Amino acid sequence: MNNFVGLSAVLTGFAAATIAPAIDPINIKAEYYAKFQAEIGNNLFFQILSDFQTRNTPPGSNQTQEEKNQLIGEAMLAGSNGENYVMSCRKLIFLWYSGAWPTVDGDTTSSQMLSAKSYTQGLAWQVMQSHPMGDSNYRYGYWAKEPADLSGYTGNNN
Amino acid sequence: MSTTTNYDAIIVGSGIAGAIVAYKLGQAGKKVLILEAGPKIPTDRSNYMDTFLKANIKSPESPYPPSTQNAIPSSEENPLGLPDPGEENTPRYTVLQINSWRKPKQSYFDFQQQQDNLKGDSPQANFAYGSSYERIGGGTTWHWLGTSLRFLPNDFKLKTKYGVGVDWPTAANNQDFYDYLVPYYEQATIEINVAGSKVAMDKLYTQFDDQQTFGPNYNYPMPEIVESLVDEEFANNVTSMKIDNEPVYVTSTPQGRNSRAGERRQCAGNTNCIPICPIQAKYDATVTIARALQTGNVDILYQHVVSKVLLDPVTDEVNGVEYITYDTQTGKATGTDTATAKKYVMAAHAIETPKLMLMSATDKFPNGAANSSGQMGKNLMDHIMYLAWGLSKDPVFPYRGPLSTSGIESVRDGAFRKAVYDANGKLIEGRAAYRIEIGNDGWSWAAGDPFTTLGDYVFGQNNSHTNATATNSQGKNLKFNTALGDNSKLFGKELVATLNGIYTRQIRLGYLIEQLPYEGNSVELSKNLKDNLGLPRPKINYQIPADYERNAFVSAKKVSTDIFNEIGATEYTQDPGAPVFYEEEGGKPLTAANFQYEGNNFIFYGAGHIVGTYRIGTEKSNSVLNYRQQSWDHSNLYMIGSGVFPTLTTANPTLTIAAMSFSAADNILEDLNSESASSNAELASVSSQNK
Repeated sequence: MNNFVGLSAVLTGFAAATIAPAIDPINIKAEYYAKFQAEIGNNLFFQILSDFQTRNTPPGSNQTQEEKNQLIGEAMLAGSNGENYVMSCRKLIFLWYSGAWPTVDGDTTSSQMLSAKSYTQGLAWQVMQSHPMGDSNYRYGYWAKEPADLSGYTGNNN
Repeated sequence: MSTTTNYDAIIVGSGIAGAIVAYKLGQAGKKVLILEAGPKIPTDRSNYMDTFLKANIKSPESPYPPSTQNAIPSSEENPLGLPDPGEENTPRYTVLQINSWRKPKQSYFDFQQQQDNLKGDSPQANFAYGSSYERIGGGTTWHWLGTSLRFLPNDFKLKTKYGVGVDWPTAANNQDFYDYLVPYYEQATIEINVAGSKVAMDKLYTQFDDQQTFGPNYNYPMPEIVESLVDEEFANNVTSMKIDNEPVYVTSTPQGRNSRAGERRQCAGNTNCIPICPIQAKYDATVTIARALQTGNVDILYQHVVSKVLLDPVTDEVNGVEYITYDTQTGKATGTDTATAKKYVMAAHAIETPKLMLMSATDKFPNGAANSSGQMGKNLMDHIMYLAWGLSKDPVFPYRGPLSTSGIESVRDGAFRKAVYDANGKLIEGRAAYRIEIGNDGWSWAAGDPFTTLGDYVFGQNNSHTNATATNSQGKNLKFNTALGDNSKLFGKELVATLNGIYTRQIRLGYLIEQLPYEGNSVELSKNLKDNLGLPRPKINYQIPADYERNAFVSAKKVSTDIFNEIGATEYTQDPGAPVFYEEEGGKPLTAANFQYEGNNFIFYGAGHIVGTYRIGTEKSNSVLNYRQQSWDHSNLYMIGSGVFPTLTTANPTLTIAAMSFSAADNILEDLNSESASSNAELASVSSQNK
């Protein structure tokens, strides 16, 4: 699971502690983990996680974690990994952002929502500095003021 | 049922119209029975919310039964897995059916076949109807937006003032209909608990010459809902524009949601008024149904589908309604029976109501109940909407607050509404009016966001048109981040920055174009399509036949571009493509709402404003009801809801539906009381004779 969360954080651009904190009663990661594995099959699933583990070494002395993450992400999405491999990683990004598993058909994407929980946990709502439509945790009138900085939503410096 | 209660009134339908009449009659001590075709109002909304949250497409109907999405496995023929309306007991039309409007296994409405050899701009082209409704306890207010504008005085006099459409009738003593409605508007405003700004409305009504008849003592029960940052972007930057000589400014929308804690919760900005407010900060008719039931005089029966209005062959009065009961949505009927009362009130919205009346034909009324005029089901209207969208210069943070908090109301009336025709009857000047709704919903309606733009930057697509080199018709660059390649696939920090930059700048305008009444736009009974109870399904005929409305699309398109330029935004409104009217056009999918006009491709959207199919009027020959909303043909029959509107006007209909329902309740009470007074007098005279 640690590798899955680490990979997800690198690909989504959100902090691991934001999307899957140590104490995590929401635990959406477990739903995504199971879905990801079921959709792409065991072989590719463990290959991707094992590759991530190999690449996920501590940053070099003159390298920030952010720069390191960029390099890991590029390596995970490199065309040399194979089309299916890369597409699977991309679908994982879509899953975290939307809560829905995508079907890519040429130029368009459709998707199937996993659950009520996955909808409300979609990162798309966080990246727009808002809340899922239908699930506000704000108070009356917040829409007349600017939201908190983006970093407050992603847990990273943006 | 075989009820033992002697009801004063039976009301068919439990939406806002039926709820208000039930409440008023119950309050006055009258015994009322409501027959609702759909399921009961749930004790809490968690089941509806759960269905909504899981839905792939968050369409207006998505929370409500019968379930619309993935009801059956999807297939190439039926990609959304839409259920077969022929197998449901209370099917209804949904916006997901629009693109399959010519597939009766997926779409509830029967449709009119296209004529041969239509051109893209042919006035005879048939379209899918754009709007939907619910058949559940509480009705369609479950997913109304909440906009609570009054109509303008001139809206009631289109024929006299502008030479188009029809006038609304006058009330008793030749009183203007607007003036007649003023006290009822006040009652409706209180019932809905509208949050609004009196100052803003006074400014608006002062602008419309000689129409300052808002009433001297009115105010809103709640202060106005604060405007969004999106609203401010328009309000602060569109300051010197005029549209057809009318000044453009932004007006805070009076709306049926709590700006303060009260009987209902304070709005928390769930940005989900449509399809469902999770905390009921927004008014819906379940509020009024509860009040009606609390009078102790109102009964309601759910899953009772009224199938026929029975007419007395001698008196022509209604003497009962037949209904069918069922247990489960796709199960068999469990029984039929008849209910009777003194007065009958049809409140099943503007498609099911005329359907029921057309189903109730007798030898004496072969065209259906209440239809000696032939107008039943005619003049179907909807605000045909033009959508325009763009990206603001700087972030304005949409997807926050109620779906809409402001609009441009100042262009709803003006000399531009006057139609001028040449000697051949061709329109040479004049267009339909519109109001412009400012959306806080980003591109969710316009482009299916946030997931469309998400898909673009995860998979390298360009459905948002932000992810590849292109310019719009004003020559502005569309690619959001010119440092990126075309069809970029992003991850990590770059994905976050790009999505954030786009989502937080998304703005959207919606033009509610007033469609005039046309007899050809109508609800009929399908000859061969039935629902699971064996009742005929509605056949909808729907066109945009006149240049008067089409000119408004041309205006809306130009005005949007001007507004976006004025505020320094980049317009992303997409060309919807040419219409496809026939199957054989190279296998392209049939379009539902695309048309061409003056060299433009347009698509229209429904506003959810189903209006006009049993209108009030001055005469029995040209209308279904008198101004009291009483049938010309059957004196103990009343019909309420937006079907009574002779014209659509320039505002969202619900506040006026409510006001008209308060007026109908007064009329029904007056009739009930005058009858009981005269029967008391008869009794008194009988007993005095017996002495």
